[in-house]
Amino acid sequence: MSDAIARRRWARAGAIYLLLLFFSILFMGPLLFAVLSSLKDNPAEWPPRLDPPQLRWRNWVAAYRLGQAGGGSGWFGAFAPGAVVPFEVTYEVPAELAVQGIELPRVAVPRRVPGAGPGAVRTGPFAADMAEVVGPSIASRQPGPDGSVLVTYRFEVRHTGQITVDRLPVDVEVPRGYRFVEATLSPNRTERLGRVQSWNTITPGVIPYVFYNYTRVFGENYSRTTGRNLFLTWIGNSLWVATAKVLTTLAFASMAGYALARLRFPGRNVLFVVMLFSMMVPSQVTFISNYLVLRDGIFGLSRLWGMPTLLNSFTGLILSGLVGASAVFIMKQFFESLPKELEESARIDGASPGTTFRRIVLPLARPALGAVTILTFQGAWNEFFWPLVVLTSPQDKFVLMVGLSTFRRAYGAVGFDWGPLLAGAVVAALPVLILFVVFQRYFVEGISFSGLKG
Amino acid sequence: MKEGRTPGLRRPMLSERVQEAVAAYLFLAPFLFSLVVFFAYAFARTLYFSFTQYDLFSAPTWVGLRNYVALLTEPRFLTALQNSITFAVVVTAAQTVFALMLALALNQKLRGITFFRAAYYMPSVASSVVITLIFIWLYQRAGAINYLLTVALVYRRVLVAWVVGTVVLQSALVLYERGRGRPASPLEPSLLVTAMLLAGAASAALWVAGVVTPVEGVQPVAIPWLNTRRRWPGGPVSAPIPLEAIMLLNTWTTAPTFMLLYLAGLQEIPRELYEAASVDGASAWQQFRHITLPQLRHVTFLVVTLGLIGTLQMFDQVAVIGDQAPLESVITLAYYVYSNVFPGGAVPRVGQAAAAAMTLALLTLVVVLIQRKVVER
Repeated sequence: MSDAIARRRWARAGAIYLLLLFFSILFMGPLLFAVLSSLKDNPAEWPPRLDPPQLRWRNWVAAYRLGQAGGGSGWFGAFAPGAVVPFEVTYEVPAELAVQGIELPRVAVPRRVPGAGPGAVRTGPFAADMAEVVGPSIASRQPGPDGSVLVTYRFEVRHTGQITVDRLPVDVEVPRGYRFVEATLSPNRTERLGRVQSWNTITPGVIPYVFYNYTRVFGENYSRTTGRNLFLTWIGNSLWVATAKVLTTLAFASMAGYALARLRFPGRNVLFVVMLFSMMVPSQVTFISNYLVLRDGIFGLSRLWGMPTLLNSFTGLILSGLVGASAVFIMKQFFESLPKELEESARIDGASPGTTFRRIVLPLARPALGAVTILTFQGAWNEFFWPLVVLTSPQDKFVLMVGLSTFRRAYGAVGFDWGPLLAGAVVAALPVLILFVVFQRYFVEGISFSGLKG
Repeated sequence: MKEGRTPGLRRPMLSERVQEAVAAYLFLAPFLFSLVVFFAYAFARTLYFSFTQYDLFSAPTWVGLRNYVALLTEPRFLTALQNSITFAVVVTAAQTVFALMLALALNQKLRGITFFRAAYYMPSVASSVVITLIFIWLYQRAGAINYLLTVALVYRRVLVAWVVGTVVLQSALVLYERGRGRPASPLEPSLLVTAMLLAGAASAALWVAGVVTPVEGVQPVAIPWLNTRRRWPGGPVSAPIPLEAIMLLNTWTTAPTFMLLYLAGLQEIPRELYEAASVDGASAWQQFRHITLPQLRHVTFLVVTLGLIGTLQMFDQVAVIGDQAPLESVITLAYYVYSNVFPGGAVPRVGQAAAAAMTLALLTLVVVLIQRKVVER
């Protein structure tokens, strides 16, 4: 009898774990699938496969060697003067075609831009202008299944010019009926019903091979006005704005929270109501006036510092978000939970409220400050609407989320180029996700602090 | 203002009061600046703009209630209002139910629970822009969601076999257990898992044996999730399909946040209640119905209120989706306000936008007032 009960308890635990696992797949699945697909050459392929060639270690080794053969490093690759890049491709020739004699493929180095959108605005030299293909020749033949022949072709690409280029794209075209088997490096695309195998670059190096879409995001987006690397600039902007907001919020929210929790002053209740109200009202209600306030430099005050307007400036973005009511709320809740005795003894000793706050209360507030830090950073990093209103031009001024949202048009203008889009999204999500994994406790505390509104 | 450190010395009351108030205002100064300039003044000004005609450049001219009247006859505003309310109600209901389910599943003393909590929480931590971009990709005609539906269609016979097998086996197991004199509810989880696994093995065996076959010649599902004006399910209660697509993704991202609130609530329910109920022979369902739900009433009100407030301001998804979907199918009040202030090339209609913004604020306020009334009772 007790056996049955124990059995059932085990089974119940198993049931719960299965349920939890199912939900994990539901919540994590889309994100993980997006991360995986951001490595693919075509994230919109049908059917979606889960094993892109970018994840096979054979290709990593090949990419490293080819990167070195191209005259670059094994990690980043290049196609440099004097390079000789050997390459082999194997095809299966069916029996009825093999009887007529084995034909050689056509190997070409095309003038190809990396992709749609910003990737199509290719400036600078093409590998096609300085590459010479030697071959192809038949390297080996082996009997394949049912009378077919496995033919391995070998060719070399030589650099005959003076300039180093970053990519060496190659197309190999075979007669109809020849079936691709393998190559030194897996091809990125197969075109024309299998007759053309196409490589983005055959001298990639490991990182540009595995993270090709990521190198595109970082390498293709340049500002039209300043020529700076846009994606890096945006990341820097976001970091700067988020860090500044965290610092101002930490200082001002702890001060205001302490005053609300511990000090008596006229107008306390009114302030409290307005504060709650401000947490509820959507920012789309107040943004019209806020936009004008920044446009006129906060009642003209910014002119004293020589700024006629605060639009399109991080100063404006930071000043308009010095401290949020929810952070003040978290701090207030925390200070109310502290025992009063410490502060009272300090007061009896004649310490001013400022001293008490600095010396006694703040050192105790570490958990709440941690929660505020994490939640503020996350909020500032992810914020989209207000920066979209404030930062409109030039593109160098965008924060990462506003910049990322322009990618949909940039890469989606002519048929979607999903690779860089997904890669950009993954990069944008990473900082906050890493923070979350490391400081999970603070996140949860912050949510439960702010959630228990009386 | 330093005073001697003599405990017990009575300082004059008034000066102490004043001192404390001054200190408080000094402490509050930066926050007050933010709150007054960027909230109170801004709110008042939006209210003022809603009674004026204004284009951001020339001075506003007073027109009284004309903007509000004009809104009532503007199809686009009415569409936005309808979309906003539908969206808020549906998503709030869905995420509340979903959050409660998740919380009940996670409210266990099991190893590795922190891992699961982190896993569930990921979508709500990531930014809305990132999530929306990823979902635009999943929602493509040749995207992963349509692919999964296609796979389900191809293997539908196997799936049906599995479901039927599970039901049959579960009934058999429950009857067997009861026959042995052990209490077992129809949805006893341990039995259910056994039934599911056995049914899974059985349907796999049938599939391998060729009794149950995948369906041949299934056309790939090509539902246009975003680029369509169609509504679903049709009839009086329906919403545009693109809006429903956003509903799905929003429920998916926000349910975990509310799950945390529910978890905190569940942990505060006294154990004795359940123990007493068990002694009285209450079933698991009865315990949930008569203890858990009533005890969680306050959390539920909070979750519903926060949910409505949050969903009423949905903007980011519409802005990121942009021309992937027809504007009428996804426009919300928040986006309506934005697009009237910055209409891109046309003259800004700030008066109309402000009136729409006040409507949005009013909706939010009504939600909050209802919650206050209910909680006070």
